[in-house]
Amino acid sequence: MSAVMTIPTISRQQAIAIAEADALPVYRNLDDLTLEVSLHNDGWHVEYQMRKPRHAGGRPHYVIDAVTGEIVSKKYYQ
Amino acid sequence: MNPEAPTATELQQHPTVQAAFAAAWADSFPDDPALRHEEGGYIYCDPTTGEVLVRRTLPGELRVLDLTHPPKLPGCFLVGTYHTHPNPIAIGWDPEPIPADRREAQESGVPWFVVSEIGVFVVGPDRRVGGLGGSAGYPL
Repeated sequence: MSAVMTIPTISRQQAIAIAEADALPVYRNLDDLTLEVSLHNDGWHVEYQMRKPRHAGGRPHYVIDAVTGEIVSKKYYQ
Repeated sequence: MNPEAPTATELQQHPTVQAAFAAAWADSFPDDPALRHEEGGYIYCDPTTGEVLVRRTLPGELRVLDLTHPPKLPGCFLVGTYHTHPNPIAIGWDPEPIPADRREAQESGVPWFVVSEIGVFVVGPDRRVGGLGGSAGYPL
C-alpha cells in the first residue's frame, strides 16, 4: 500500500521564501547557487547547489513542512 | 608504470602538510564572525626527491574556495588539495565534507582534505590516480 501524501498548503514558492529567509543571514549571498525543490512525504526539500567544478563550496539544504511551513530540518554545509 | 603517489594518510602525517593545515586554519579566522572565510591550497610531490610541497590558493569566501587552477611546480605532481571549514558547529554549521566535496574529489583524481574544528577529514581517492606521471595537475 503506497504512502498517502498530505496535500500541501505551503506552495513551492513559499517554501523557497522560507528557506531563503533563513539562509541569507547565514550565507550572506546565495547568488552563485542554483535551487532544486521537490515535494516529498516529509515536506518540501529545498536544496541549493553549486555548479562550479573544482570549487569547494557550501550550501544549505532544508526540509520544510508542506502544511505548516515549519523548517523540519536544515543543514548548513560549508 | 608511474611511481606511486603518497597516500592520503602519508600526506596527512607529513610535517609540511600539517603545518599548512594549521596555517590555513589560523588564516581562516574561525573565531571572528566578520572575517571568517575558507582558506586552502594544493599539495605536491616531487618523484625524484620525494619532497612534499604545498602552495596556498587565494583566500576564499565564507563558504567557498576556488581550487580550479593548481600552479605548475617544475618536476612536481599534484597529489592533493586542502581547504578549511571554519564556520562553527555552535551556530549550526556542518563541519564535515559535503556530498559535492566528495564527488569533486573523486572526479579530480586526488584526495581532498577538509580542515575543521573537530579535525581533518579526507575524501576522494586514497592517492593520486595514475601515480606520479602524466598531467602535472589534476590527473582526471
